[in-house]
Amino acid sequence: MSSSKPLPNSYSATILPPANKAFVPRDYSHGTELRFSTELPAKLQGRIPEEVFTAVIGNINQLLIAAETGSASVYLESCFACLTGYLAYLCMETQYEKCLRSVSRLVEEYNRTVFGPRNLSMIDPSERGLRVIEIVLLRP
Amino acid sequence: MPKRWEVYPGKSQVLCSGRCISAKNLSVFYLTLALIVISSCLFLAFDCRLLAVTLSPSVPVLAAVQFIFVLCCLLRTTFSDPGIIPRGTPDEAAWIESQLEGPQVDRDGNYRPPVRLKDVQINGRVFKLKYCFTCKLWRPPRASHCSTCDNCVDRFDHHCPWVGNCVGRRNYRYFYLFLISLSVYCLYVMVFGIVNLVLLSNMRKDFLMAMKESPTSVLTILVAFFSIWSVVGLGGFHTMLICRETSTNEDIKGSFNQRRHPDLINPFDQGNGLANCCYVLFGPVTPSLLNFREDEIGLGSSISLVTNNGRNGTVSAAAASTAVTATPAVRYSNLTRNNNDATSNSVGHVNNSVQVISESLPAQLPGDGNDVIVKNGNGAPADGVISGGTDAVGAQNSNTQSASSVHCIV
Repeated sequence: MSSSKPLPNSYSATILPPANKAFVPRDYSHGTELRFSTELPAKLQGRIPEEVFTAVIGNINQLLIAAETGSASVYLESCFACLTGYLAYLCMETQYEKCLRSVSRLVEEYNRTVFGPRNLSMIDPSERGLRVIEIVLLRP
Repeated sequence: MPKRWEVYPGKSQVLCSGRCISAKNLSVFYLTLALIVISSCLFLAFDCRLLAVTLSPSVPVLAAVQFIFVLCCLLRTTFSDPGIIPRGTPDEAAWIESQLEGPQVDRDGNYRPPVRLKDVQINGRVFKLKYCFTCKLWRPPRASHCSTCDNCVDRFDHHCPWVGNCVGRRNYRYFYLFLISLSVYCLYVMVFGIVNLVLLSNMRKDFLMAMKESPTSVLTILVAFFSIWSVVGLGGFHTMLICRETSTNEDIKGSFNQRRHPDLINPFDQGNGLANCCYVLFGPVTPSLLNFREDEIGLGSSISLVTNNGRNGTVSAAAASTAVTATPAVRYSNLTRNNNDATSNSVGHVNNSVQVISESLPAQLPGDGNDVIVKNGNGAPADGVISGGTDAVGAQNSNTQSASSVHCIV
């Protein structure tokens, strides 16, 4: 049956994803913990072996999950900050920030050793608000 | 080059050059602040004169300490990032929206809007994730979009006009402690205000005379009395929510209301009220993801990080057209900030995780020539591999000269 109502003009029927970027989305199957999907994006098929990609994302996930785990040191740090009226946060770095910092360093190393030689570049997820891991294909 | 706070698209108010963020309309917050500050000043200036002399000087001291704590919690709640999820880049939006089933017209000629829900199973419970067309992202479970501030906020509780900000994941503990400390402080002021009046009336032998002599006591007692009802009530409500690991938003929507539907389990509940309290109030603090103090480097310039640090690849035309900065503005790569112990610990951590990867990788990656060769276990490192962590980080140190960025959002 032919449609009688036209599509609204505001919707663009030609949304094209960027050709030179692959995105790794968040994996919420374990809850709200910081974890990215280890599934190899279609654009990276053939550019990087799947086991290497899985191991890279797995290692990043390990660091990120550790950031959100409530350990004794984290609780002590928060209690101490609470007792100072949270003024301590103005001069001290939280455990979470240290974990994100180590993730940034890890991403830089992976860019140097794993992605760079394959003409790929991984963007630190902190730069993308921890929404996605963006991988740029430098050469088609 | 503009800073990120200068190009922030939401409706929140950014203050102190990106160090603080609050709602645009702060008029009710000013009322809250005025009530607390004026009542406290009146109490400390007038009531405490007699109380310090008659009872103990610790009475005004304790009042001052509580007053400062209440103010700290209030200001932290108002001016900190509640857990705003930064908006998706246009590329991300294009990628997600290309996967969404577009709007269609079905057989009856009815228009069906684009499908923007996806199911995700979390610990035995199915959640529907929504795609936020304003923020161009898949909203995480527990996040919600605040229409007042026009942001998606993680673990959104509610938008509170009294504190002039959304209450979300990052500032919920400050909000709760503000409520509790204000409850205690209101009670303290009311009790000692009454004690002051009683002492004065004993001295003057006439209660009405005492009231006329100290009208500020009457005022502070009334303010405290009327505040207690709402503040203590709200504090009790939030205590209950915390013990159940639920937010106000989820409570209103009945997301975890097992009385209505037994299968609406709360997968975030740790099973124990005390454990939930500890996690919500003293658990890990997420830093602000907005990175307001960083330069707005645009989408392609992050590629400059690779060309500066690693091997030079051919930068695509799109990337080359954006400004390439010599100093990549990566927030967390300021290696000089940490002391040596912290650095070596983190490097140790990086080492371990790389050993994990080196164990799982094949001995030689196919098609790589001799660029990336991995040695397992504690073997001598080969070229291009993270070896002794200190060496790699040392090399990184000389390459990465990122500007030290002070904590942007409190």
